[in-house]
Amino acid sequence: MTLKEIKSERIGDKYYTGNHDSGLRIFIYPKDGHHSTYAILGTKFGSINTSFFSTNNGEVVKLPDGIAHYLEHKLFESEDGDAFSKYAKTGASANAYTSFDMTCYLFSCTENFEESLKILLEFVQSPYFTPETVKKEQGIISQEIKMYDDDPSWRVMFNLYRAMFHKHPVKVEIAGTVQSISEINPENLYECYSNFYNLNNMALCVAGKVDPQEVLKIVDKIIKPINGTVPESYFPDDPYDIVRPRVEEKFPVSMPIFQLGFKEDASKGRPDIEESTQTDVILQVLASKASPLYRELLDQDLINESFGYEYFEGKGYAAVIFSGESKDPDKTASIIKEAIKKIHKDGISKEDFENAKKALYGRTLSILNSAENISNAILTLEFSNRELFAAIESVASVNLEDVNERLKSQLDIENCALSIISPESK
Amino acid sequence: MNDFIQHKLCDGINFNVIKESRFKTGRISATMFLPLNEETVSANAILPFLLSKSCQEFPDFTSLNKHLNDLYGASIYAEVSKLGETQVLGLSASFLDDRYSLNKESISAKVTELLCKMIFEPLFDNGKFIQENVEQEKRQLIELIESEYNDKRIFAKNRCEQLMCQDEKFGINRFGTKSQVEALTPDDIYKAWDQILKRAKIELTLLGNSNENLALDVFKRAFGKIKRENVFSCNTEIIKEAKHIKENREEMDLAQSKLVMGFRTGAALQDHLVMPMRVAVALFGSTPHSKLFLNVREKFSLCYYCAARYDRNKGIMLVQSGVEKENIQKAKLEILNQLGDVQKGKFTDNDVDAIKKSLSNNYRTVGDYLSSLENFYISQTFDSERVTPLEFVKRINAVTKDQIVKAANLITLDTVYILVGEKG
Repeated sequence: MTLKEIKSERIGDKYYTGNHDSGLRIFIYPKDGHHSTYAILGTKFGSINTSFFSTNNGEVVKLPDGIAHYLEHKLFESEDGDAFSKYAKTGASANAYTSFDMTCYLFSCTENFEESLKILLEFVQSPYFTPETVKKEQGIISQEIKMYDDDPSWRVMFNLYRAMFHKHPVKVEIAGTVQSISEINPENLYECYSNFYNLNNMALCVAGKVDPQEVLKIVDKIIKPINGTVPESYFPDDPYDIVRPRVEEKFPVSMPIFQLGFKEDASKGRPDIEESTQTDVILQVLASKASPLYRELLDQDLINESFGYEYFEGKGYAAVIFSGESKDPDKTASIIKEAIKKIHKDGISKEDFENAKKALYGRTLSILNSAENISNAILTLEFSNRELFAAIESVASVNLEDVNERLKSQLDIENCALSIISPESK
Repeated sequence: MNDFIQHKLCDGINFNVIKESRFKTGRISATMFLPLNEETVSANAILPFLLSKSCQEFPDFTSLNKHLNDLYGASIYAEVSKLGETQVLGLSASFLDDRYSLNKESISAKVTELLCKMIFEPLFDNGKFIQENVEQEKRQLIELIESEYNDKRIFAKNRCEQLMCQDEKFGINRFGTKSQVEALTPDDIYKAWDQILKRAKIELTLLGNSNENLALDVFKRAFGKIKRENVFSCNTEIIKEAKHIKENREEMDLAQSKLVMGFRTGAALQDHLVMPMRVAVALFGSTPHSKLFLNVREKFSLCYYCAARYDRNKGIMLVQSGVEKENIQKAKLEILNQLGDVQKGKFTDNDVDAIKKSLSNNYRTVGDYLSSLENFYISQTFDSERVTPLEFVKRINAVTKDQIVKAANLITLDTVYILVGEKG
């Protein structure tokens, strides 16, 4: 296979990409002077892909909640032993994670790269599930689920998702529930695997100390093409409206924590790279430490350093979310809404725009410091048909008119939900 | 790799340079070391937070942040931590390297000057910190102290450390207590600031591609105006062996119980058994090839996390785990059983080889992250020699099985803390 060079003229960095005959997409980002190599193999299959149209009869098949994450745990075991014990011989530091829309397997190493890459490619291609091995994992994953149950910042987040989304599976916890994972067995794990661990649905990214040709050689040797097509995931249409405007839960915390989400229309597809950047500018102007909103919340003793915001979006869901600790989340929410009203009315000024753009540009470039961040960004962007250098370029070239235009369709104060975790009364 | 160059500015103050051109950003930091004391802990702790919010040139928080945005999103960080029984205050900045600014602007020089002004020219009114700003930081620091209760893993770990070291300085919270913060006055904080500039050991570190002479000049000039006095000495009490086992239980409305076990290791600071202890602890419980992972998690499915962490600055080891209420005892016994196996030498050469490879990998990776490099060197501030990550790798690999067993046999259980989850 041949590799194409992708270069950022602005920064001077470059990387290589190509499509392997097997369908696997490959990205290689060498970094001069780096001591370590980071490799990540991901599939576009996460916790929200629990329903899909069968490739046999077109009917919707429903899998147990949490199965993508369970599969991630179980894939580490192959018939000839588990991946960690193989990595133990190379010294690589290995891990894996499951998000809403992807599952990734990764390692970082400073020597024996070839051997470690072989281990990664081989174990992800060698599913081995028996009733005993599947059963054994239940105890471990149940404890992982309970660990998250005890994490108030996790609870406040999923309570918000459930207050915003009627049907979309993003409201279901990534690892599922102790109940739902009890329905997982070798059969449905194999079904998931054969449908979604198709190389056409996967990508490999290697960054740091790396010779691109070496990677290709190993991929050619180890990768076995899989037949079949990737089924299309089914997402029930989620109405524009939120489910309920306020949800509160008691938990052992020292002061209330909150998340405030402004739900958006996600029925027309995901935002492109320019739109994402425009939203980042809007949020930077609206709520960063340089904003009048942040200042007002501080002056009223309503927020602290934990205050933050994000644009939370994926296939079929989108929302702007503010979060933090606050002695009075309701008052905080109403001040945020007032600031949104004002920015909708006045628009963003040239001065604030230029200021926000510079900050965003600097912080975006810092992603390129680490092989780990680069690889994760490339993979995440690839799975939503976007590209890393284009993302950086979009910050350098964003313009105020587009930002103000985008602002009109975001942050609907009539369509928001507030989730609160408040202290138990003593 | 990553040459570390040190210039002595004056008594107790060094200016360190780690020159690296392959990063898009640079860092500059001031790390201040103070004895950990009940009397001064909170006045010291509030300082980096207070100083990072304004200075005479930028008296207003909003305009300061506009300025930082204009410097391509440069970030200022205030941190407080413990290195053994030394309180460590950090004020640092990270910033885009000048080469990548859109209009060929000089970012690093401006950020360096800003950081210097935050330290030396704080916002005063009549020579005092401003009451209103102090009150704002007090509120936020109290909320930060209280938020340690929210994350139950951190809460349980802190409780165990606190109970284990209740009669040692190490038992003091790095920020102090809520009531200590509440009682702070602008005068207390001024005194702490004055003492730090005069008496703290301070490491200034510049990392990245910036002009070190420029930064060196800025700090030379600033410290030139300070009359330095006797530098504080920072010592840590090392208890080599636990006399008896303390056990403490608390209940909370949780889905999962948290089990934390605190051990004395007998090896601390620059003891010759510190390297073998690192290998022994890793073998026992800090990699996926460790005994705790392979047995307590994988074989017995008792938990999702069960890991050991060694703190050579205090000579202690903590094992943290989250388990089902009815499995607490079983997990505790199994953890001790696995430690027993390490102490009896029940492990193979392959096991040792795997652990050494894993630790070597970690140390060789240090140079790929500016913040890891900085931490790596800063953690050696009080050592008599400065060791590079590669020298670390060499020393790890020289550790023998006998040394591992010897080190493991120094480990004694001191405190068991159990946060019983009453939901499950």
